Amino acid sequence: MTTLPSTTDTDLLRQMRSGAADAFAALYRRHQGPLYRFALLRCGSAAHAADVVQEVFMGLLTGRFAFDPLRGQLHAFLFGVARNLILKLDAPRQAALADGDEDGPELPADDACPLARVLHNEAAEEVRRALSLLAPHYRDVVILYEMHELSYAEIADICQVDIGTVRSRLSRARAALARRLAAHV
Amino acid sequence: MELHDHEPMFDALRAEMDKLDAPRGVEKELMQAFARQFPRKRRWFAQLLTVPAQAWAWTGSLSTVAAAVLVFALNAHAPHPGEFGRPLVTRDHGGLFIALDSLERIEREPNPRLIETEVPRTSLAQLGVPLTPENAGKPVRAEMLVAADGQPLALRLSSTN
Repeated sequence: MTTLPSTTDTDLLRQMRSGAADAFAALYRRHQGPLYRFALLRCGSAAHAADVVQEVFMGLLTGRFAFDPLRGQLHAFLFGVARNLILKLDAPRQAALADGDEDGPELPADDACPLARVLHNEAAEEVRRALSLLAPHYRDVVILYEMHELSYAEIADICQVDIGTVRSRLSRARAALARRLAAHV
Repeated sequence: MELHDHEPMFDALRAEMDKLDAPRGVEKELMQAFARQFPRKRRWFAQLLTVPAQAWAWTGSLSTVAAAVLVFALNAHAPHPGEFGRPLVTRDHGGLFIALDSLERIEREPNPRLIETEVPRTSLAQLGVPLTPENAGKPVRAEMLVAADGQPLALRLSSTN
């Protein structure tokens, strides 16, 4: 069984479903990095990010998350699944925040955020910190657009909002980030 | 086509993040889950390994013919004797299996490959493969199990009818 870099995701999925382990491995290797980095920036914890990646691919393997090639690209589908899993993981923390200060910013949990220790570049760390202070629905849009170069349409599909909302969230998020970063200069 | 107007402020973060991948343990766990979901079908040469030794060696003439088959199929590769000094031969669902090396050697091979090949039908007549004037020119399809170093380990003849 050949799994060339040019083999499409759909072909790899077909091979995977017929029991080709190398096809599953190729799919994983192709998509794990972006998904892991998305989850890492989104939830700030390497352990949670690894759990999310594992659960995404486990769901793909078992058919729990059914991908329809007619509805878009696999990478966007996987981001959507990852985002939903992160929302579930985040639900208790968000509920606690809502009970306390509804308008308050999400606090960066640096103790639970080994990412801060992983980033050696000071500028990168400042942006990461500013990003972590954004509300999750803004963070999703910024990460997917700026870090993963997804289109507005793909982000709209992943976040289950319309394209106009993606644009406005991105604009507000950039402005908030610029303000925070300027305050640190 | 939508143009991406990226903020330069993300350049450093993007460069740093690009170095990060999921921990290796995740892939290992997933591949184990895959193996559970799709248990590997036993390869024909694995079945070969579990057949009792007595069942392999049919007759002395079989081993002689098997050796002749190998001369054709392996093209100058001398057959290695199996247990009791004879090639090990068995039948399964009409197919014919011939071990070209010892079972221990086959079992030890870490990275065997299967190669499709064809064997002249006339050389298989004494093994019971039907031979008529009409099909005498038709070769019999076979799969050869080959070690990583190219050493032939076993042969399976299929569709001998």
